[in-house]
Amino acid sequence: MKFKLQNIAMVAGIALAAMSAPALAGSIKIGFNVPLTGFAAADGNSALVGAQLAVEQVNAAGGINGDMLELVVYDDQASPKESAPLAVKLITRDEVVAGISGSYSGATRAAATIYQEEATPYIAAYAVHPDITRAGDYVFRTSFMGEVQGRAGAKLIGAMMGLKRVVMITLNNDFGKSLAAGFKARAASFGIEIVAEYEYSIKDREFGPIVSKVRADAPEAIYASGYFFTAGPLVRQLRAAGIEAPVIGQEGYDTQKFIEIAGPAAEGVIITTSLDRDSSDPVTQAFIAGFEAKAGYPADMVGASAHTAVLVMAEALRAAGGGGKAALRDAIAATSLDASTGHISFNGLGEVRKDVQVQIVKDGNWRHYAVISDAALLAPPEE
Amino acid sequence: MAYEIVLLTTMSIAILFALSLNVITGFCGQVSLGHAAFFGIGAYTAALLTKAGVPLALALLPAAAMAGAVGLLVGMASLRVRHDFLAITTMGVTFLFVGFVRKQDALGGEVGISGIPQAAFGRPGLLLLAIVCTVLFVLVALHIRRSWMGFAFDSIADDEDTARILGIDVKRFKLWAFVIGTAGAGVAGGLYAHHIRFIGPDSFGFVESVTVLAMVIIGGIGSIWGVALAAGLLSVMPLWFQFVDDYKLLLYGLLIFAAMRFAPDGIAGLARRIAARIALWRLPR
Amino acid sequence: MLFLDLTVQGLVQGAIYALIALGLTLVYGLLRILHVAHAALFTLGAYLGVIVTNQTGSFALALAVAMVVVGVIGVGVYRFAYKPLLDQPPLVALIASIGLFIASEEIFRLVFGPYGLSFTDPPLQTQVEILPGIFLSHARLMVVGIAVVFLGLLGWLSASTRTGIAWRATVADPDMARSFGIDVERVRYLNFFIGSALAAAAGVMVALLNNLVEPTMGAVPAYKALAIIVLGGLGSVRGTLVASLALGVIEAFGTIYIGHLLDRDAIAFAFLIIVLMVRPQGILARG
Repeated sequence: MKFKLQNIAMVAGIALAAMSAPALAGSIKIGFNVPLTGFAAADGNSALVGAQLAVEQVNAAGGINGDMLELVVYDDQASPKESAPLAVKLITRDEVVAGISGSYSGATRAAATIYQEEATPYIAAYAVHPDITRAGDYVFRTSFMGEVQGRAGAKLIGAMMGLKRVVMITLNNDFGKSLAAGFKARAASFGIEIVAEYEYSIKDREFGPIVSKVRADAPEAIYASGYFFTAGPLVRQLRAAGIEAPVIGQEGYDTQKFIEIAGPAAEGVIITTSLDRDSSDPVTQAFIAGFEAKAGYPADMVGASAHTAVLVMAEALRAAGGGGKAALRDAIAATSLDASTGHISFNGLGEVRKDVQVQIVKDGNWRHYAVISDAALLAPPEE
Repeated sequence: MAYEIVLLTTMSIAILFALSLNVITGFCGQVSLGHAAFFGIGAYTAALLTKAGVPLALALLPAAAMAGAVGLLVGMASLRVRHDFLAITTMGVTFLFVGFVRKQDALGGEVGISGIPQAAFGRPGLLLLAIVCTVLFVLVALHIRRSWMGFAFDSIADDEDTARILGIDVKRFKLWAFVIGTAGAGVAGGLYAHHIRFIGPDSFGFVESVTVLAMVIIGGIGSIWGVALAAGLLSVMPLWFQFVDDYKLLLYGLLIFAAMRFAPDGIAGLARRIAARIALWRLPR
Repeated sequence: MLFLDLTVQGLVQGAIYALIALGLTLVYGLLRILHVAHAALFTLGAYLGVIVTNQTGSFALALAVAMVVVGVIGVGVYRFAYKPLLDQPPLVALIASIGLFIASEEIFRLVFGPYGLSFTDPPLQTQVEILPGIFLSHARLMVVGIAVVFLGLLGWLSASTRTGIAWRATVADPDMARSFGIDVERVRYLNFFIGSALAAAAGVMVALLNNLVEPTMGAVPAYKALAIIVLGGLGSVRGTLVASLALGVIEAFGTIYIGHLLDRDAIAFAFLIIVLMVRPQGILARG
């Protein structure tokens, strides 16, 4: 049975090779797991558009040393239960040379174990789980760890804005918890006094009780973690209750949809993120224009992160030049590239080193506010 | 082969999980909307043990014991509340379990547990272990069916008050159903933790509880092979449905609805009706 | 002060719960079905509310359209999904309902997009000082207002009209009611229409409070409303009201004072389990 299958595969392989021989370019397959159905479909959609845009740009510019890049896309519903089997399928059935995660933390963490064991490089585009890169030396991340971004938030509030009495509103998941941990670790060193911390679930859209309590606390600033679908209603309700203190958020806010939900209340909200809308960098500008044309809505952090991950992978494929998966891993580790989310390089663990962009909502759009490029503060863990 | 092994392991774990609920809901008639909590208890127990160096096959025993012990507690609640009240109480157990785990740093909190070691002999080894556990549980279920306990379960499922009048110790048998069922779920959870090798609070929520109940009902409540078939099919359906991509979950939902609408007694009932029709058709005219 | 503020916030949330859970308890009272897909009707109402308001600029019209359309669809759900299953064990209808709910979330995503919708110019956002130092937006006041008006109407309907009497008779004993010449089927249609319309009203109001309608916004009401009707004693309208308000207030205080120990859902279900262990038939048993 096995023998027969092998024969068929061999014949098919020869036939395929014969058919594709006249064509000039081969294709290089990259696996892409992304939530396209279920609760995370909104982010999954942006991630897919960002990744596809990057593939189009790479191929239009001549591909990888003449070969065309091809994404093999599977829907993982942002669930580890789906992503782990799909990782096995991508590596053993589709025979991808590498994988990229356009998915959330749990799904990415489960897939990372498998990529590591199959010695296949894997880049997490925007998943924040602290243990993802700890799966091993084949796993990388092109976005900030929550803790790094939390530290940047502390510097932003305490040193750059000079505000000291802070209330934290923390999202109850790995994203919110790691942000809070980073923020608390550095708060004191920037003179911040944490007045109180309230937690909420990702399912909450109604924050009446927390808003009441925050008003009683009368803080100078509010450090609130969340995604656009929780932060939009939260900011709206804070402002509606007459709370004027600045709200500082993170990359989870980073989409036009946040401004649409919060409306006028969004004005003046400041976030730490990866994408600078007012960047003069040509790669970033080409991404912002290309994304809006392809997606039909303005660029967001998730799209930019997936775009960056594909560009990093493409650059490494070029450098490795068909030298196998281990060579590809080494090429990724040695990355030094200007991508849509800034200059990318990796530390020993596979965590990205790049500047934190600070954006503010002005006249209904995300705009440049500042850049934090404090290498010591932003250093991701080495192990 | 690797992918087929993964799919078979997924199916085997789902079958064991669904059959364990089938003992509680199918045999004994106690509806549980919180079975994922026990799956989770088993997963956490086994993961913590194997991370500490215990071999998986051994770690499954404490996983079963832990889940069974909590199952006994919930079973006691079933003595107090009945029918739909019980369904919603067990649903609450899932939310309490997830809410509790979220805040426990020892259990990884929101971040969960990653780096769970591989089973001995890798993926084929895990598949073999899963099949052994599932087969053992099927034997237990078959044995229960044929024993006095099975009769007692039946009569409780049928009418609790009548069963009591008949002199059946309703309390004792209800507790047994919960302990056997939840311990089975604990084993399934322990296997799951070493299959996906990452667990977090979101892996054991209400949706999982509903999914496993759907497997039991669609299979045909109480039927061992019907439930096993439904669990095997439904568990890998999202993976098979990749080609319909955008419509995957829509199709899944509609299929569950259609199954109930057109075969309310499940796969087992449908098969019975078809068999009856064939038998009728074969009669000499 | 804070105490009063939290209580008010909890009561507003409780009013929303009441609007959603009431339809569910009516269905349960009549048919003994745990109607999970009720939450899909809530979501549909929210979508219709936003779309009609954005198209016509009239929020009142949007509310009316959402209630009527969703009411009719609710009747359709009964006719085509539940009616054929009435002779089956209640679990069958429950699973069918869950299947419908999963499918409907996906339909919302496919039709209206994964990002959700918002009002272009959300109405009723100004603040009013209802008590010294306690502010509520007009939208929140309207939530309470709608809950009071519709629940009052429902109370009057069931107590003082012929339809209401037919309804109560059907709930008490369908066969007996039929033998007295009551059109049981008509009562059920009416029941689904009213319950679904109330869910739609709740959906529109939640859309207004959050300015966001998402495909998955029914996920929380889908299970929390079940908890509420059980807490209220399954099928008891008054019990459901009490349970809704109690849960709203308990969640409000719980979020602030024990939020670091248990999340909102866990608080709600801990409360449910404690109550059921003491009173296995819920706060107010049917009677």
